[in-house]
Amino acid sequence: MSVRPPTLREKRRYLLARIEPCGVPLEAKDLYYTIHEAATSLWGDMMVATMHPAVIALEEGYAILRCRRGTERECTIALSTITTCRDHQIALRIIAASGTIESLRDRIGVMGSYVPQGRVRALNEECTFDTRTFEVVHCDGHKLDVIEKGFKNTHRLFLTTEDLEEK
Amino acid sequence: MMITDACVFPYPNGLSSVRRMAQEAAALGFDSIVAADTPSCTAGDIPVFFGLMISAQSVKEVTTQVKRGNGPGVIVSVQARDNGFNRAVCGMRGVHILRDIHLADKYAFDHVTAKIAAESGTAIDLDLSPLISGRGHVRQKAIHRYLDILTLRYRYKFPLTISSGARSVLGMRSVREISGICSIIGMDEEDIEQALGGVAETTAPKEMPVRVIS
Repeated sequence: MSVRPPTLREKRRYLLARIEPCGVPLEAKDLYYTIHEAATSLWGDMMVATMHPAVIALEEGYAILRCRRGTERECTIALSTITTCRDHQIALRIIAASGTIESLRDRIGVMGSYVPQGRVRALNEECTFDTRTFEVVHCDGHKLDVIEKGFKNTHRLFLTTEDLEEK
Repeated sequence: MMITDACVFPYPNGLSSVRRMAQEAAALGFDSIVAADTPSCTAGDIPVFFGLMISAQSVKEVTTQVKRGNGPGVIVSVQARDNGFNRAVCGMRGVHILRDIHLADKYAFDHVTAKIAAESGTAIDLDLSPLISGRGHVRQKAIHRYLDILTLRYRYKFPLTISSGARSVLGMRSVREISGICSIIGMDEEDIEQALGGVAETTAPKEMPVRVIS
């Protein structure tokens, strides 16, 4: 099928979402299936067919998503019902909607990348909380994400630097 | 108006510390949160209220726990059970919120309970966790129950609260996302705004009736 001229193409909107928690390993394909499942579960096949959601890119901790123009509201509600993706607990925080991918990329540039950082405490540094030993996996400002040491597949704990000082 | 998440579960009930949850709540547009079994404090520049979550089998047990735990800055929430229990709890002094109504049976909240809740100012909590993380039957049941509650609310005007029921920062949702989710169950902007301010409404000192002094 030949490419349609711009005036005949369907109008689309692009959504920028931050992927929480920071540094969770996600594949675009897995996220696509997750979004599809969430949207279908909430709105049904008819609405999802109209919405036509897709994952454009996963960049620097953000996801650029696509939907048909006029269905942004339904799409964002469906995105807010996403809790897991491939056994990873996640949340998508919608930041912006735009008519072009370029403007969303500019927005990412302004906000800065959302990748694991060790600003106050070094990554993989050990710390103690509630008499247990944890490993720092992300530290940005006062926010601190840790995983308990010595166990596989344990949950991530979301703390602040003040919590470690106190316990 | 103070926008409040009526129930979150910080560590050790959940996976986030209360400070982190408060920080996240502030970033998501909330003015305060009610944290289950966590002492009142100020964290992340927003007040955190002590949420006393009562899950009792009998009304007597609720009365005992309310007497023991109630105090300034404490938000008392009682888990809904059968109809008789809910009627008694809604009219009980010191109880602020009736929660988990979606888990109670179909006839647990009727027009009489709604009237009692309106008269005593007890709020009914709409827990959004079954709408967010539930799928299929669980979500459908919650939507059905909430629609039923909203029908009664339009008639009797009892207060509502909205809670995310989050056990970590990942379960928390922004005010805008909550508005979107609540629109599924037919709440308009005004309803959502009132419900988000429901905790402040239900804990505010009751206006005294007009007295003739001469």
